[in-house]
Amino acid sequence: MLSRVADSLYWLGRNVERAETIARILDVNYTRAMDLYSQRDGRSEALWRSVMQSAGFRTQAKISSNGRAAGDCFGFCAFDESNPTSIISSVRIARTNALSIRAELTTEVWEVINVLYLDVTDQDLDSVLREGPSKFLRRIRDGMQAFAGMSDATLTHGDGWNFLQVGRFIERAYMTARILEAVDVEHEPWHESQRLLEMCCASVPFAQASHSAPEGRDAVAFILLSQDFPRSLRFCTRQIDVSMHQISHTPEGTFANDAERRLGRMRALFDFTPLDEMLQAGVPAFARQLVGDYEALSNDIQGAYFPRMPVTA
Amino acid sequence: MLDLQPHVAAVEHYDELYTPLGTPRAHYGPLAATLERLGRDEILARVQAINTSLLQRGVTFTVYADAAGTERVFPFDIIPRIITPDEWGHIERGIRQRVRAINAFLYDVYHGERILREKRMPRELVYSSKNYNREMIDVDVPRDVYIHVSGIDLIRDEKGEFLVLEDNCRTPSGISYVLENRDVLKRGLPDFFRGYAVCPVDDYPSRLLDVLRYAAPQAAERPNVVVLTPGIYNSAYFEHTLLARRMGVELVEARDLIVVENVVYLKTTRGLERVDVIYRRVDDDYLDPLYFIPESTLGVPGLMNAYRAGNVGIANAIGTGVGDDKAIYRFVPEMIRFYLDEEPVLNNVPTFDCTEPSQLQHVLANLDKLVVKTTNASGGYGMLMGPFATKEERERFAETVVSNPRDFIAQPVVQLSSSPTLIDGAMVARRVDLRPFALFGRSVDVPPAALTRVALREGSLVVNSSQGGGSKDTWVLQA
Repeated sequence: MLSRVADSLYWLGRNVERAETIARILDVNYTRAMDLYSQRDGRSEALWRSVMQSAGFRTQAKISSNGRAAGDCFGFCAFDESNPTSIISSVRIARTNALSIRAELTTEVWEVINVLYLDVTDQDLDSVLREGPSKFLRRIRDGMQAFAGMSDATLTHGDGWNFLQVGRFIERAYMTARILEAVDVEHEPWHESQRLLEMCCASVPFAQASHSAPEGRDAVAFILLSQDFPRSLRFCTRQIDVSMHQISHTPEGTFANDAERRLGRMRALFDFTPLDEMLQAGVPAFARQLVGDYEALSNDIQGAYFPRMPVTA
Repeated sequence: MLDLQPHVAAVEHYDELYTPLGTPRAHYGPLAATLERLGRDEILARVQAINTSLLQRGVTFTVYADAAGTERVFPFDIIPRIITPDEWGHIERGIRQRVRAINAFLYDVYHGERILREKRMPRELVYSSKNYNREMIDVDVPRDVYIHVSGIDLIRDEKGEFLVLEDNCRTPSGISYVLENRDVLKRGLPDFFRGYAVCPVDDYPSRLLDVLRYAAPQAAERPNVVVLTPGIYNSAYFEHTLLARRMGVELVEARDLIVVENVVYLKTTRGLERVDVIYRRVDDDYLDPLYFIPESTLGVPGLMNAYRAGNVGIANAIGTGVGDDKAIYRFVPEMIRFYLDEEPVLNNVPTFDCTEPSQLQHVLANLDKLVVKTTNASGGYGMLMGPFATKEERERFAETVVSNPRDFIAQPVVQLSSSPTLIDGAMVARRVDLRPFALFGRSVDVPPAALTRVALREGSLVVNSSQGGGSKDTWVLQA
């Protein structure tokens, strides 16, 4: 497969996943902010600051304290074209990538992205907030999941599909690590655990697996280490590894490039390290380390399959 | 009711639907009955569904003059244009003959110039053509085929005779609309097809693939064909993706290709993979920065050397633009007589050559009655429709023509035929042209997949998509 096509599929996968994750983060927090966090005690601002951090902003974003935090953050994360990780930017990038490899995609897969793009670019912040943002966010999630379903069902499961998978799971792992970094389970075990689980769409799976209300580090452990939950970091990392080995035709447990070597180390970390040892320096510190690992992994994948080639001649 | 706007029996132009006596032509009968049965509201609802579907599919083109790369749906008119088997047979013969003659001409101008030596056309006309390519002299292209794909634009004069308006021998586009229009119409208005046996169009991509495989250098056993596109901002990008997808071949950009020791390769995730045939939808000038425009980022350095070394087939060949130069168009009938020893089946539109002083004088004196076209442009850019232009526009154009006569030709305004068209919920007559596509492999194949473009503005004679044109599904009826 063409390196350029692999590159576009990878970023298509990443941006589809990102739009879906941002939509879910916004929905969960917009809803929670309505009852739990009153607008007077400053907790609402703290919540939105944490949302901004999950959405990818390391620097302290300006959060207005006039009770408009929710609307401002929502606008920034959903519709701001200058924010490269906003929903609208992610959908636009995904669609541009899809367009540049239009010949590789099935009509179904292309149309899902195109229709979603037409929908998102047709919205404006005020009317979305007026009717309550859930409806809009729901459409984003539905569209993105339709994309996932269509691509699984209509694309050949060869190299191209595997690059799409790698993009999806690396973005999912990366965003989950970011969410982990921004929650504060040490100080508010129940509320923050619940918020974490909802942002990872894990509240019911967690309840079924643990038969108890989330406490302390239980939810964190579930999000990090669940074997079967498709958004846990362990699960995502395994999926990336499997797809990478299908692309390189080398057996799992060995490596053909730096990306696979790093994946092996990360899998060993999740598979064999005691939780206490992982979290020795606290949840945010460990999450920060993982964010760095996934960034490095992305660079390794790029180096192995689609290096930015200098323009020849 | 969807009545055609009451219009006086056309005398100054040919109408596809009505005879001059005002009675519908027989081959439109079943369609007229269906329209009546469906009724206005039903049809308008279907039109809306069809337009939504086109937008969602992304059947768009890019308008260059607009703010950076605006994508627009190519307007689609639901009323098909119907061509009888007799009419098509005539067109097919004419196109086949014309394409063979132009191909022979291209071979000749790059191998010995017999036609120039025998003074059947002026030497300087060829040498001054911007698309005459010296690099191609004495280069042998695979199987001597230069124009693998061409689109010949036809119009119908007031008597109904099909005339050739221009030849497109470089990278003619439009076939994707032919394929999409048919698909959309079959799904959106299946009732229309009742009472007709229409030739299918959907085998075009496999016919094209046959021709492209045949363009491979003899050495290749299972030729690896790719489609080369300038990228997503090109006005015909949608078409490039559609053809690559339907042919099942790779759609590549120049940056995906690399030439190593005169062999062209694809850069893949598993290393380099050899390419045998490039169906390029990129102009000559942007193919190889070493030979043509050095600043071009669209080209593949070394491609021309690989081509000359006979290691890759390129369709269409490099240098075919001299064959569709509008100043050379005038000599195509002569080429037909010279190379094939036949009389032209399809006639040209009378054309004035601005490089001849007497003809230039005539053109300048009659600008208000003539169409003036730039010889090397396409897509309706750089032309003056004399009767519709203001005095200032004509004067400004006249100056350009005088300062550079080789760049212009002039033709009388030919009244294009009109065809019933649905505009704002009413049926009105709008002017149409016809672009059949010819594929040149073992022989010249003219698939019954032609594009009808329609000038949507009332009275307009310009059908180009960039100038407010739309398209129709074109039905060639089975014999």
